[in-house]
Amino acid sequence: MSNISELKSEILSFPKGVFCPEIFRARGLSESANTINANVRADGLYALFAMPEPHIYKNDLIAGSLRDVILEVPDDERGRAAAVFAKYPERTFSCNTDHYAADYFTAVEKGIPGMIRDIDASAEKHAGDAEATGFLKAMKRTLEGLLKRIENYAEKAESLKGAEGYDAEKLDFIAGNMRALLEGAPGTFAQGLQLVWMIHNCFVLEGRYAMALGRIDRYLYPLYLKDIANGTLTDERCEELVANTFAKICEFRYRGCDDVVNICIGGVDEEGVCSVNGLSYCVLRAVRDVNLPGPNLSARITPDCPDEFLDECLKVIGTGLGYPALMNDTVNMAALLRKGYELKDVRNYCMVGCIENFITGMQPPWSDGRFDPINYLEAILVGKTAEELDSIESMDAFMRIYEERLKEGVENYIEWMRRGQFVAEPENMTAPFLSCFCQCCIERGRDINMGGAKYPSAHGAALMGIGTVSDSLAAIERVVFEDRKIPLSTLAAAIKANYEGYGDIRETVLAAPKYGNNDAFVDKYAVWYTSTLSDMFDRYTTLDGGPVYTAQAANVSNIYAGHGLGATPDGRLAGRPLSDAASPTYGCDVKGVTSTLLSVSKPDYTRCACGSVVNQKFSPSAFKDGKREKLAQLIRVYFSRGGQEIQINSTSREVLQDARIHPENYQSLVVRVSGFSALYVTLADEVQEDILSRTQHEEV
Amino acid sequence: MAVLNVSNIQRFSTGDGPGIRTTVFLKGCNLRCPWCHNPENISAKPETLVFAAAGKTVTYGKLMTPLEVADDVSEDADFYNAGGGGVTVSGGEPMLQYEGVAELAAILKERGISTLVDTAGCVPWRNFEVVLGSVNAFYYDIKAGSREKYASVTGGDFDLIVSNLKKLVACGANVTARIPFIPGVNTSDGELRLILSTLLEAGVKHADLIPFHRLGSAKYKAMGREYVFAKTSPPAAEEVARAGEMLGKYIETGIE
Repeated sequence: MSNISELKSEILSFPKGVFCPEIFRARGLSESANTINANVRADGLYALFAMPEPHIYKNDLIAGSLRDVILEVPDDERGRAAAVFAKYPERTFSCNTDHYAADYFTAVEKGIPGMIRDIDASAEKHAGDAEATGFLKAMKRTLEGLLKRIENYAEKAESLKGAEGYDAEKLDFIAGNMRALLEGAPGTFAQGLQLVWMIHNCFVLEGRYAMALGRIDRYLYPLYLKDIANGTLTDERCEELVANTFAKICEFRYRGCDDVVNICIGGVDEEGVCSVNGLSYCVLRAVRDVNLPGPNLSARITPDCPDEFLDECLKVIGTGLGYPALMNDTVNMAALLRKGYELKDVRNYCMVGCIENFITGMQPPWSDGRFDPINYLEAILVGKTAEELDSIESMDAFMRIYEERLKEGVENYIEWMRRGQFVAEPENMTAPFLSCFCQCCIERGRDINMGGAKYPSAHGAALMGIGTVSDSLAAIERVVFEDRKIPLSTLAAAIKANYEGYGDIRETVLAAPKYGNNDAFVDKYAVWYTSTLSDMFDRYTTLDGGPVYTAQAANVSNIYAGHGLGATPDGRLAGRPLSDAASPTYGCDVKGVTSTLLSVSKPDYTRCACGSVVNQKFSPSAFKDGKREKLAQLIRVYFSRGGQEIQINSTSREVLQDARIHPENYQSLVVRVSGFSALYVTLADEVQEDILSRTQHEEV
Repeated sequence: MAVLNVSNIQRFSTGDGPGIRTTVFLKGCNLRCPWCHNPENISAKPETLVFAAAGKTVTYGKLMTPLEVADDVSEDADFYNAGGGGVTVSGGEPMLQYEGVAELAAILKERGISTLVDTAGCVPWRNFEVVLGSVNAFYYDIKAGSREKYASVTGGDFDLIVSNLKKLVACGANVTARIPFIPGVNTSDGELRLILSTLLEAGVKHADLIPFHRLGSAKYKAMGREYVFAKTSPPAAEEVARAGEMLGKYIETGIE
């Protein structure tokens, strides 16, 4: 791409100063003439959007930067601003503040001026309802702040002409697009993209994180199509504009970490037909061009999506980037339909954060938590006396006890969830800007978290350790109740001792069947786990009456969940990680990837409305021409059998190098060696060297 | 029912034929190619390999009935059907266990799964006759192009493998020739030409060039055996491409 590397180096040369939006916000708050909390907040947001000095990169085509609020400010001034800002606290993750996919469809269709007209019309309709008209006024104020910010950028672009290193053509392009957005709805693809980026940028200025861009290949498609048809846009230019935009997601690093901005391509249209289009490919390639974490790309794979699309996805994954994650559209839509959403809204779902399914722009921001079913199994074994344990007569009886414990655990979880979600004075914690981009808030004149959104909030309970639990239950059934080799009390004693002095017992439980080998004996527990726990969570709702989903996604929490846990009946030692996400325990799925996927596709994931994650690693050679189609076949079959998600990593050089130094940490790293796969650590030095050099060769 | 001496069953094999395949490696070989990358499959006896650096011990060699093998590999039927895949029987020399292979292939055929046999062909013709009715295709190794050379590098009978190859092609079997491209053995133009003329004479339509690799060297270490080819570098990509081009003028040629 023409300027993406230059833009990246501009972005990645860190500015001096710190992220301090509160400086501007506090000024708006303290100078506000309003008395109602939402309107004072809106004045704070107006100041935040309107006051900062715009920053335009020399290589920008689509502008809007976080640098505007990276300032070198004396500590005492920051302290004073923070004190003002503290009187207007924001909600937190547990009570629905971010991880949200905005309704960019309406924004692109109407433009900001059009949305303001809608707000005015709604205020007229709600005349006499002080609460609604007051909130609508607050919403309008924030959109005026956004317009002011857009105007500031136009002026800045115009004033930079002639400045060293700046290109007049680029600046004209930016200024022209900004000016058009002041007048009405975006008329070109670039203007639509610019508008979306400005809105997203304002969310980040507000302090929000993991704000998804959602179905960009849907809401920008009409403009893309129009421009392509009239010859003012090419796919190359489109890819360049999108990459130019996505690269700025990485500005989040100025705050110390990468953002997780989910972007969703593929899926179905309003009629339920595969909606992959030319723009989907441009977005895919743009993410590849940017080649940084942050733009977290997801692809909704439908049974009718073209092979070419899946192949392009695999090409990008094969670069080592790991994006896009591949989502089984059929399963995800079935899962969301079970939660009672309208079909047309389900068809338009996307993801927020890592993989969390979300009804685009129609529900409050996401929240979730971690639920560790293995802890309740451990509690039985360490909590009951030897006599009590040995009086359990059968596996069925053991399962009934375990289910009772889980039920209590789920009750406690729900109590914790509701405590986290509870806000004493919601009218003093409104989000007027965010509410503009959620369907029904303008129409109803209400905050996104106070009944403005079309649907109530959904919450995700992330179930940890399906592999650890399934393997543990299989071991108990096999050695205690079937073979009668070891009494349950002895197994409990072995666990308490972290298997020290019980080496033979550990050998025995390690030899029991393990999840991930297409073995029905153990796989039935994964099926049970998914359905039973989903049943338990299904009984509850969020505080505002929305559904509680289950997830089987760990991020890296499975490592921390394992830290505090003693040894488990599957042979796992104390402190070791739990199995990851929806995957079998690493190193226990020894039969091969097809067997792993046959096992992993057995649970009913239409019960996991939040989503699940299955990590698989392949070395770059699996992504070569002529081999990719085999990966595609693997995925198609896995999805046709009901698998929900797969993310395929083409192993990075760093991992391969580290695996040579610390083979103990990479016992289950499978690499494609040539036509076959092998455990990396069992390969000879020179072979590892060969693969390393080949990887490097492919990376050039 | 015959019994198969199985070394290893490897799923999602992508280099052993079309589509997604499972390769069943059988133990026992009657050739002794010094570059062999599956040394654990040469002896018919069970063998335990100790990968010291990785702290892993793997035992190869297990007697299974053809039905047991068929049931195991049939689990992946959906994957095979997604794109012309199936089961590959390799080794060792699978044609030494022709009765078991024939039974396995027959069961798989009944289940709609195709079987490919990867052989060096140095067995009595009768063995092929037994499997012909159930096996769908053959990968047929040609490691050298003359009687003397073949005998000196593999210990096998060149006349026998050529005669078997001719008969296979003549009776309409689906045969792909596989030429391991081994530095110091058969990479010279002269040697390649001899191999080529053998293939043309037999009427083979397609050949794959398989460049030498050292991927088996850890297994030699784990078996406590010396690998004669440990220090041999894989041929340069240009050299492989040039050989492929040369063959490609006379026969459809692929490079693995």
